[in-house]
Amino acid sequence: MAKIIVVTSGKGGVGKTTTSASFASGLALKGHKTAVIDFDVGLRNLDLIMGCERRVVYDLINVVNGEATLNQALIKDKHCDNLFVLPASQTRDKDALSKEGIEKVLDELDEMGFDYIVCDSPAGIEKGALLALYFADEAIIVTNPEVSSVRDSDRILGILSSKSRRAENGDKPVKEHLLITRYAPARVDKGEMLSVDDVKEILRVPLIGVIPESQAVLQASNAGSPAIHLNGTDVSEAYKDVVSRFVGDDKPMRFLDAPKVGLLKRLFGG
Amino acid sequence: MSQTAHAFDIKSASLDLLALLLKTADPAELQTALDARFGNTTETASEAFLLDLDGLPNAMELPLAELLPLFSRYGIRVVGLRHSSRSLAALASQHGLAFSQASTPPRGTLAETAAPEAPVVAAPVAAAPAQAPVSVPAQTLIIDRPVRAGQQIYARGGDLVVLAMISAGAEVIADGNIHIYAPLRGRALAGARGNLAARIFTQSMEAELVSIAGVYRTIEQRLPESILGKPTQIYLDSERLVMTALGE
Repeated sequence: MAKIIVVTSGKGGVGKTTTSASFASGLALKGHKTAVIDFDVGLRNLDLIMGCERRVVYDLINVVNGEATLNQALIKDKHCDNLFVLPASQTRDKDALSKEGIEKVLDELDEMGFDYIVCDSPAGIEKGALLALYFADEAIIVTNPEVSSVRDSDRILGILSSKSRRAENGDKPVKEHLLITRYAPARVDKGEMLSVDDVKEILRVPLIGVIPESQAVLQASNAGSPAIHLNGTDVSEAYKDVVSRFVGDDKPMRFLDAPKVGLLKRLFGG
Repeated sequence: MSQTAHAFDIKSASLDLLALLLKTADPAELQTALDARFGNTTETASEAFLLDLDGLPNAMELPLAELLPLFSRYGIRVVGLRHSSRSLAALASQHGLAFSQASTPPRGTLAETAAPEAPVVAAPVAAAPAQAPVSVPAQTLIIDRPVRAGQQIYARGGDLVVLAMISAGAEVIADGNIHIYAPLRGRALAGARGNLAARIFTQSMEAELVSIAGVYRTIEQRLPESILGKPTQIYLDSERLVMTALGE
């Protein structure tokens, strides 16, 4: 059975699409056949982050409506052989999605032998977001260390535990993972940002990783290449750790402390 | 939650009814009075009524067969009878009505107290022997998962026990007491239907708002160190909300 993972947050701009792209790429790099689906119909971004925007011919809505087959719509990633992108439609709105249509697509992906299906949720708690999380087996809750993002994540966790298919059928609840992104230890030290422990205490969900705030993410987006491929950067390392923890490896948390600034650097600036 | 197919569930429900206190059993006299009160028009929307017969000297001889159609012409749909004597139960069941035994024989104080006091079975079953509604002991609602922002839990008619945290932005309500064996960070409203003796207990007091029987307090200022983040109880002491540390 393919495992369905939703990447969600409630709040926009916290790094869902960045995370979906890097997480799906990380699973594929580990040799798992992976599909990543953009649920943000009308505001599609995942194809840009994955750098495949010029290869989009058919999209999720076309497949749901039977205007194209899944094979026609899936775009093979340029970095990994076993990663496929299913883009959202740019021209339609979210009403074009239906529970039955999505279920059909997910079942078909399962039959095609995919190990993991990553669903990139749109922001908000409207139809697109609800459908993205409805079929999930596991959820990655992307949260920035600031109060409104944490509040929205809490809201999404409530929806996961009451409105997902697993909740409606009374099955085992959706497995929740907390991912803190855009973490700046130096600002935490100055009291300008919630700490990892603060966020964990408020949400009480197991932590799967902390992604440090980094310029590399913006560079990666502009270059159309998921941040996980920027070898040597802390963001790439942090995402690789997240994927390893997800598949069951025990990795200590990294990038939680501000880098020590030497005396000379402090005196003369970086 | 369960997929097991059930044809129905039995749940407790209460219904607010209007009571019609009869002071005469004479249909002609009633019709004149009804005309004067409601006019000559036929009401389309019908309202559920409880017929209170305690004001009649000989309620047993009430010509119900004649009166029920008369009432319904004025939009009064009688769903039950109320009387201090059980002997009227037979009359009620003859006409497919529920019967409610008035708790105290209020003879003499009938004047204007039209407020419904006893809940009445909503769908009377003609064949079943009519019975006064039995008061079911209130159920305690137990919640063992976190109550997250935007979620609301209401324990109708009883106590609420929550074994996980109440997030900021979440709301828990009970007609009875509220026990929270985790941090309370959202809102908690006990005694929602006016029970002044209801209390709130929490293992870690961090609430945004607490209320007992409608007396509420928003917590904007930092709580005193004696209760902030500590096991706390909240109760009402003559219109004043009191929050004190537990175990002292």
